[in-house]
Amino acid sequence: MRRHAIFAIARADFLERVRRYSFLVTLLIAVFLGYAAATGKITLKLGNYRGVYTSGWVGAMVALVTTTFASLIGFYIVKDSVERDRATGVGEVLATTPLSKPAYAIGKFLSNVAVLTSIVLVLAVAAVVMLLFHREDPRFDLWALLSPFLLIAFPAMVLTAALALLFEMLPGLRGSFGNVVWFFIWSFALSLPGITGNRWLDPAGLWTVTESMSAAARRVIPGYTGGFSLTVADPAAAVLLENLRWPGLQWTAAEILIRIGWLAVAFALALLAAAFFDRFDPSRTRRDAARQQTAAATGDAESPRQEVSVTADAYPAALLIPPQPAGAGRMFFAELRLALNGLPWWWHAVAGGLIAGQLLAPFTIARGPLLAAAWVWPLFIWSALGAREAQHGTNRIVFSSPHVLARQLPMSFLAGAAVAALAGSGVAIRLLLSTDFTGFAAWLAAVLLIPALALAFGVWTGTNKTYEALYTVLWYLGPVNHVPALDFTGASPGSNSPAYVAMYVVLAAVLLISAFTARAAQLYRA
Amino acid sequence: MQLSIENVSKRYRSGVQALRDLTLTIQPGVLGLLGPNGAGKSTLMRILSTITRPDQGRVLWNGQDVARDPDTLRNVLGYLPQDFGVYPKLNAIEFLDYIAAVKGIDAASARKRIDALLPLVNLADAARRPLGGYSAGMRQRVGIAQALLNDPQLLIVDEPTAGLDPEERVRFRNLLSELSGERVVILSTHIVSDVEAVATEIVLLARGSIVASGDPETLLARVTGKVWEVIVPSADIRAFRETHVISNAAHRADGVHARVVSESAPAAGARPLEATLEDAYLWALAAQRSVDRTGGTT
Repeated sequence: MRRHAIFAIARADFLERVRRYSFLVTLLIAVFLGYAAATGKITLKLGNYRGVYTSGWVGAMVALVTTTFASLIGFYIVKDSVERDRATGVGEVLATTPLSKPAYAIGKFLSNVAVLTSIVLVLAVAAVVMLLFHREDPRFDLWALLSPFLLIAFPAMVLTAALALLFEMLPGLRGSFGNVVWFFIWSFALSLPGITGNRWLDPAGLWTVTESMSAAARRVIPGYTGGFSLTVADPAAAVLLENLRWPGLQWTAAEILIRIGWLAVAFALALLAAAFFDRFDPSRTRRDAARQQTAAATGDAESPRQEVSVTADAYPAALLIPPQPAGAGRMFFAELRLALNGLPWWWHAVAGGLIAGQLLAPFTIARGPLLAAAWVWPLFIWSALGAREAQHGTNRIVFSSPHVLARQLPMSFLAGAAVAALAGSGVAIRLLLSTDFTGFAAWLAAVLLIPALALAFGVWTGTNKTYEALYTVLWYLGPVNHVPALDFTGASPGSNSPAYVAMYVVLAAVLLISAFTARAAQLYRA
Repeated sequence: MQLSIENVSKRYRSGVQALRDLTLTIQPGVLGLLGPNGAGKSTLMRILSTITRPDQGRVLWNGQDVARDPDTLRNVLGYLPQDFGVYPKLNAIEFLDYIAAVKGIDAASARKRIDALLPLVNLADAARRPLGGYSAGMRQRVGIAQALLNDPQLLIVDEPTAGLDPEERVRFRNLLSELSGERVVILSTHIVSDVEAVATEIVLLARGSIVASGDPETLLARVTGKVWEVIVPSADIRAFRETHVISNAAHRADGVHARVVSESAPAAGARPLEATLEDAYLWALAAQRSVDRTGGTT
């Protein structure tokens, strides 16, 4: 009975997912990663070198693409299965059945695993394609090629599936905050074996592959002291070492045990998720419980009754007066109020502190870490742009109102831009006072780019998750790690060059046009 | 003031033909749109409210093609969708003010109208509570209020009484009656009593086509003298249902008292009854099903 229930939950959830466009997008992302790997756009380098594309090298490289890039994205893809049951009301139906909490959790976990396994399979096929087209070694070793997928990529994705489920079960991590937390957990997990020196703490398999490849490299590269990178770059940048023919991972019993261990951890996490499962009881989440208490205190949330009959005299005269039309500013402030609604006082206090810090701190700090912090603090405000109507089901009301494209959507964007401008206003003032107009242009480009990106992804996907995931990665690579092309704060050397500023402005324009185009199409599909 | 629907058809990508060559002219008053689930009512509502485009045909508001210039209609439209959401952290005043801004209503007008609308929908005391804590009925009343924000000339309400308790239903029906004087009100529902109470015109929709239309009196006249009460033994009621249109049935000590719509007395001892709109509705649907079964030859 229980096995049948688990299978039924997993099957129904998986079918619901694969019949959505988002699953197609998932596969397209996997195909894109596979294409990037198969065409050599993703390179695994040891220092400045790479080895010959043997079956083992290609298999390990594409498997690492899976455990790094695909696991990051995959989490965001699968972290919606419990939420969907909550939103559709299916959850309340399930909660009234004899279905146990572990059975539900394991069923959802298996569905997550099935979705992520499809990504692993696409990338495994990409590895075979890559080997066929870029083979530099005449030997074809199927085990060396595919074993990294089975023993590294698959367990890593299973672990991702379990963590996504656990995040959905924990009220604090269920929403946008959890999406950001995942990014930091993911980046921490990748560096964990490097920090601890413990090969058991290597869920992504990076350490396992690095150690094996580095040992081979030390034998053929004079003076090689380490250095390992998986980069999206020009493959020509890596020097091919003809005599570095890495045959693949030698799977010892201990290595296999480590991988099985991670599968066991994933399963344990799924069961742990079951322990936190609220069985769709709204009274078990703090916020909903508070609402219920308020409702109970006021008598089933109803107001005192007025007389049943509504007569002609009772119809208010104020409603017979036609309303006056509003200017554009009215919509802008309405969007801004909506964006800022419900934020706690401490949110405003931190935002104010960051602005003050930008004005008072040394300029390099103001434009560096302080501006970076100021431009991630309102992340949840921006991520609602364009997605709010679909997420809350107000689209039919909003889309049947006049001038949605000419009034509501642009003002929604401008409200997002105003938040970005205000959050980074300290740096803007200092740039203007020091007549650094190039720097100010870079700042202004970022103020446009941040909400444009949010609006486009919000309109396209109807969810805030995509933007939150993408922006967090961009923010981490650019403003935090100073990759010049991605540092939209303009703090990195060269990142505020006119070329980058122009690129940001053009990108913002393209994103806005695409957002408007997508919304125009949605107006007749709500 | 006139809304014209000319030869409108709509087929979904799934292959479902929701509307078939529908033509209708709607004047000020309350038009009750009745039909079973899947009749195409909500599709028609969405087309009229500029949410969906028809595949064929056109909708004209005062002679202007709505597809070409939807904002002409949107400026005077109040729409209560069958399914809609709210922003849970906003309270009713904040939400209505936001929707007023989206509709292009200035702040002062919006404030006055919201102040007047909240008591009208019986939400004055709950106006400052977050909408996330509202019951389904209260949320529905917020939906009613937002539809009236812009003093609409065309008010479209799709299953508006869903979730309302009987008292609120009566209030809402009365409100619709009052509003209808100088506006076009379209009320879509499958609850016949709602339509019976307020509609000045009724359109019966089934499988995307108009089955019957007219004022309530005309529709009632179609079944006048055709409604009967007959007592059927409990053991025979299933077989009786298959051959007769039964609009109501109640088990009693002497058998099942069935309310039957029939051209002639369905059984010996059948007692004639006064016809209701529900009888007319079921009779029209049964006639349509009969036509469908015989391929339109009867």
